Amino acid sequence: MTMLMNLLYQTPFLATAAPRRGFWMPEQASTVSGEIDSIFMAITWISIFFFVLIVILMGYFMVKYRRVENHKTTSSVTHNTPLELTWTIIPLIIVIVIFYMGMTGYISLRSVPVDAYEIDVTAQKWGWTFEHPGGAIETETLTIPKGRPVRLTMASQDVIHSLFIPAFRVKQDVVPGRYTYLWFEASETGRYDLFCTEYCGTGHATMGAVVEVYEEDEFKQKIDELLRWIEDIEDDRLFVAGKRLYNRCVQCHSLDGSPGIGPSFRETHELWGEQRRLADGRTVTVDENYVKESIIYPAQDITEGYGNLMPSFRGQLRERELRALVQFIRHLDRFDDEGNLLEEWQ
Amino acid sequence: MSTLSTHPSGTNYLNHTRGIMSWIFTLDHKRIGMMYLFSVLLSFFAGGMLAVLIRLQLWTPEASLFTQDQYNQIFTLHGAIMVFLVIIPSIPAALGNFVLPIMLGAKDVAFPRLNLFSYHLWVFGALVFLLALFTGGLDTGWTFYTPYSTDTDSAMGGVIPALTAVFILGFSSIFTGMNFIVTIHRLRPPGMTWFRMPLFLWAIYATAIIQVLATPVLGITLMLLAVERAFGIGIFDPALGGDPVLYQHFFWFYSHPAVYIMILPAMGIISELISVHSHKHIFGYKFIAFSSIAIAIFGFLVWGHHMFTSGQSALMNVIFSAITFSVSIPSAIKVFNWLATMYKGSISLNTPMLYALSFIFIFSIGGLTGLHLGTLATDIHLHDTYFVVAHFHYVMMGSALLAMIGGMHHWWPKMTGKMYNEFWGRIGCGLVFLGFNLTFFPQFMLGSQGMPRRYAQYDDYLPETVQLFEFYHQLSTIGSLVMAVGFFLTAGYLLHSIFFGKRAPANPWGGRSLEWQCASPPPHDNFAETPTVGDCYDFSVLEWNEQEQGYTWREDVPRPGEERTA
Repeated sequence: MTMLMNLLYQTPFLATAAPRRGFWMPEQASTVSGEIDSIFMAITWISIFFFVLIVILMGYFMVKYRRVENHKTTSSVTHNTPLELTWTIIPLIIVIVIFYMGMTGYISLRSVPVDAYEIDVTAQKWGWTFEHPGGAIETETLTIPKGRPVRLTMASQDVIHSLFIPAFRVKQDVVPGRYTYLWFEASETGRYDLFCTEYCGTGHATMGAVVEVYEEDEFKQKIDELLRWIEDIEDDRLFVAGKRLYNRCVQCHSLDGSPGIGPSFRETHELWGEQRRLADGRTVTVDENYVKESIIYPAQDITEGYGNLMPSFRGQLRERELRALVQFIRHLDRFDDEGNLLEEWQ
Repeated sequence: MSTLSTHPSGTNYLNHTRGIMSWIFTLDHKRIGMMYLFSVLLSFFAGGMLAVLIRLQLWTPEASLFTQDQYNQIFTLHGAIMVFLVIIPSIPAALGNFVLPIMLGAKDVAFPRLNLFSYHLWVFGALVFLLALFTGGLDTGWTFYTPYSTDTDSAMGGVIPALTAVFILGFSSIFTGMNFIVTIHRLRPPGMTWFRMPLFLWAIYATAIIQVLATPVLGITLMLLAVERAFGIGIFDPALGGDPVLYQHFFWFYSHPAVYIMILPAMGIISELISVHSHKHIFGYKFIAFSSIAIAIFGFLVWGHHMFTSGQSALMNVIFSAITFSVSIPSAIKVFNWLATMYKGSISLNTPMLYALSFIFIFSIGGLTGLHLGTLATDIHLHDTYFVVAHFHYVMMGSALLAMIGGMHHWWPKMTGKMYNEFWGRIGCGLVFLGFNLTFFPQFMLGSQGMPRRYAQYDDYLPETVQLFEFYHQLSTIGSLVMAVGFFLTAGYLLHSIFFGKRAPANPWGGRSLEWQCASPPPHDNFAETPTVGDCYDFSVLEWNEQEQGYTWREDVPRPGEERTA
């Protein structure tokens, strides 16, 4: 029943749930989306025309020439060259036009304006890091200004990923060993999905982020906050900042003690000051140094029972952010299993 | 008597010799074809069940039926099984093996031992593939993209066995292709010039050329990959100095032509079905025959359209896009020629014809949506989304596989000597057709709205997006269940027909090519003496025979070969 309600509610023709989406395409939020969509719709209408033509002819022939008696002889026409040339040449002309439209649209997708705002993107299993010109770093969101071209220069730390923002109609693979780029200019403020579209293993389906588009002055404010937020937190409450940074760890490290792709932070916390057994048989003391080293050089000390899967976060976290993460694990007893700060610490 | 060959003892290829060993080590192309058919259908069942699991997983956004790792293995196995074990061997190796030599009036293919070896290799390859499941599983997707697949820390342990299996299966495919090329060149009967061959043979011939030329590239690529993974030699992995995009070039240099290994023989079947069941001469024989060859040639030059977002140069993208459109023309020609064949025909709407009509409907959608993907500007948005998933299922499943099922119904009386229940055949086809469209049409909107492929769940995104995706995923899942019912029903009545079906006449549909002139099922040697053929699409020489419940040669028309002596 709920299902049926859902169906009715979400029927695309009623479009109550999503006023700005079209039936085919998501909302148009970049300067190129209008052009891409008109190419898409032109091809779609051409396709619908030919499809309807084919199906009507087929249906008509099915009914009209249905075999009713077993002895009926049929027309002995075997071919008609002018007719066949017609249905060779007309489609040929049509696809040449389609190709040309696609090519010009593509050239605008690849021609980056010179004054673009440059953001460095790092992809790694299974998350994104966006670094702004002033050094502001974000991971869960990509904050950008409206009405200014943005260029993403992208690199991968491990396997191939692909950055896709449907509302902007842009996509580009992020390939290890080389830089790739992408540009867009947001034309609407709002929040939009960002997906990874190249299969990259276990966490591929959750390797997303939200693009947040702001007016220019609000955008500047947001970037300032990004730069300042961790400085604004007092030193003895840095563990709270660590909780916020933990978003980048959550894919592999739980807080409730259950083992994931990596060991649970709860377990690490409980071992604080004690020895942890490593995969190669050594043991290591769990302390500030160990945690920090593990973030920067993850391959160095692999915990027993786990694989060498963690990418290095060297250069992606500032010193104060590293300290915040270390403090977070050290003081994990101040958080519950869901990561909520216990009342006495709020 | 209606048939050119009646065996004195009344034996046929099924009861010519007995015992399981007489099948496993048979050199008879018909038995080898039937063993392929059985094996392919078994694999289709396995791949199909995995598909249902995928659909059930995606019923809700949280998708909690399987873990992410389990889901990644399921979609990988579904793809690899369907491509390498089902679609590629389905028409050429199963139906082609059975029909091709009989259509040529030959006793067998040119190299019967090589033919048996191909089948044994196929079985061996399938078993090695199973090994991948027991050596850590396989989660790379059927495409084995580097560096994911070469990185022992990322991909699961079954990569090397799976690569070896595909390598072996590739050789099975190469040998079959070689065998068919030689057979068509050397064993055509008197009177059968190139342009008198049934169009199915043109299609198989074009396919065989691709199999022989493209498959070795896949074999070499996969060996390079295995060597890199096993010994750390840097070819594709940038960490070792290699280039991951090079792998994509190599892979698609085979795998794009492989798409035509799947669809060309399907188009060949459709040319036969439309003409025979419309009881009318195929329209534009030469255009159809040449379009098969054109597709085979152009198919080698378009692999780069799988890589528009890979980071290859913009100029290359433009060139690949331009050549890609050239493939659409021969495909369009075929569709229009099939329609023209139906015009003023006398159309029997029986099960094989319904599959052929379903093919035209589905292939039109699959082909036309290829325009969106060949166009650069729109492909950037659609690449690696469900739009691509929908497109290639329309072509590979809805077209190639349904044509195979249609062909199987067409030649079923010939293969088994039994008629299936026509009523249930039509119902089965209807359910499959409806289920198929309900499963895959919503995936076009799902993809154009942004849903990426190969997602084990989709709950992590903006609520409005998740809600929309859920709606289309649920439609798709319902469709897949309808389709499953259709396939089980089909399996049911076909099995039933083997045991309880009416005896099939030599020529139940009114076909003119040579397989309809030998008994159902054919005798061990197909024909007592090599027949002479005429125009295999001239149906005016046949008439319905009430007593036979099939079509027989008209008394007042001399057979080809007899004309000269008369």
